Amino acid sequence: MKDADVSRQIQQMIRFIRQEAEEKANEISVAAEEEFNIEKLQLLEAEKRKIRQEYERKAKQIDVRRKIEYSTQLNAARIKVLQAQDDAMGSMKDAAKKGLLRVSNDKKVYKKLLKDMIVQGLLRLREPSVLLRCRESDRKLVESLIEEAKKEYSEKASMQSPKISLDDRVYLPPPPKNGAVDSHEPYCSGGVVLASEDGKIVLENTLDARLDVIFRQKLPEACKEAPVRLNNITAI
Amino acid sequence: MDPFKGQGGIQMLLIAEQEAQHIVSNAKDEAEREATEYRSHIEEEYQKSISENTGSSGSNVKRLEEETNAKIKNLKKSTSKVSSEVVDMLLKYVTNIKT
Repeated sequence: MKDADVSRQIQQMIRFIRQEAEEKANEISVAAEEEFNIEKLQLLEAEKRKIRQEYERKAKQIDVRRKIEYSTQLNAARIKVLQAQDDAMGSMKDAAKKGLLRVSNDKKVYKKLLKDMIVQGLLRLREPSVLLRCRESDRKLVESLIEEAKKEYSEKASMQSPKISLDDRVYLPPPPKNGAVDSHEPYCSGGVVLASEDGKIVLENTLDARLDVIFRQKLPEACKEAPVRLNNITAI
Repeated sequence: MDPFKGQGGIQMLLIAEQEAQHIVSNAKDEAEREATEYRSHIEEEYQKSISENTGSSGSNVKRLEEETNAKIKNLKKSTSKVSSEVVDMLLKYVTNIKT
C-alpha cells in the first residue's frame, strides 16, 4: 500500500510536469506565431509601401510626360493656326501687289498718280531744292510732269517753285518681271523717291512703300469698317 | 521509464523553441511572397490604366488636330470671302494720294 501510494504520487508529478511542458510549448508556439504575423505584416507593409511609391512615381512621370506632349502639340497647333493666318495675310498682300501692277499699267491713271505723288512729296519735304529718283521706264513720263508738279506745289504751298533734279545715274528697280511679286529680285511697281539736296531727308513715295505702310496701319482700321467678317480673321 | 518521460518534457520544450525560431524566420519569406503577389496586382492595374489613358491621350490628340483643321478651314473661308474687298480697300488707300 505504501509503495503503491508513492508510485501514484510520482506518476502524478510526472503528469504535472508534462502538462507544464506542453503548456509552455504551446505558449512558445503561440508567441512564435504571433511574432511571425507581426514580423510578416511589418515586412509586407514596408514592401507594399515601397511598391506603391514606385508605381506612384511611375504614374506621375507618365502624367508629366503626357502633359508635356500635349502642351507641345497644343503649341504646334497654335503655330499652325498662326501660320495659316500669316499665309492668308500674305495672299491678300500678294493680290494687292498684283493690283498695283494693273494700276501702273493703266497709263492715264498712272500719269495722274505719279504727278500727285511728286506733289505730295514736295509738300512733305518743303525743300527749295530736291533730288528725284524714278524707274528708268518712267523717266520720260516724269520729265513731262515735273513742270506741272512744280506749279501745283507752288500754288498749294504758297512757295517759290522748287528746283527738281532728276537722277539720271541711279534709277529705282524695274517693274517685277512677268508680274512675279513674290520674286526675291528687287522691283518697283511705280512711284518716286524724293530727297533733300543734302540727301539727309529721304521720302519714299512708291506704290510698294505705300502698300507696306497701309498694310500695317490701315488693315486694322479696315477691320473696323467691316467688323463682322474681318473680325473673324483676327479673332481666330 | 520515469526519467525517460522527464527527458521527453524537456525535449518537447526544446523542439517547440526550435520550431518557434523556424516559424519566425519564415516571416520574411512569407512577406516577400505576398509582396510579390501585391506587386503583380499593382502592375496589372498600372498597365490597365496606361492603356486606358493612352486611348484617351490619342483621342485628345485627334480632337486637337480636328479643332486645328476646323479653325484653319474656317479661316480660309473667311479670308476668301473678304479677300477681294480687302485688296480693293488697300488699293484704294494706296492710290488715294492727298496733296
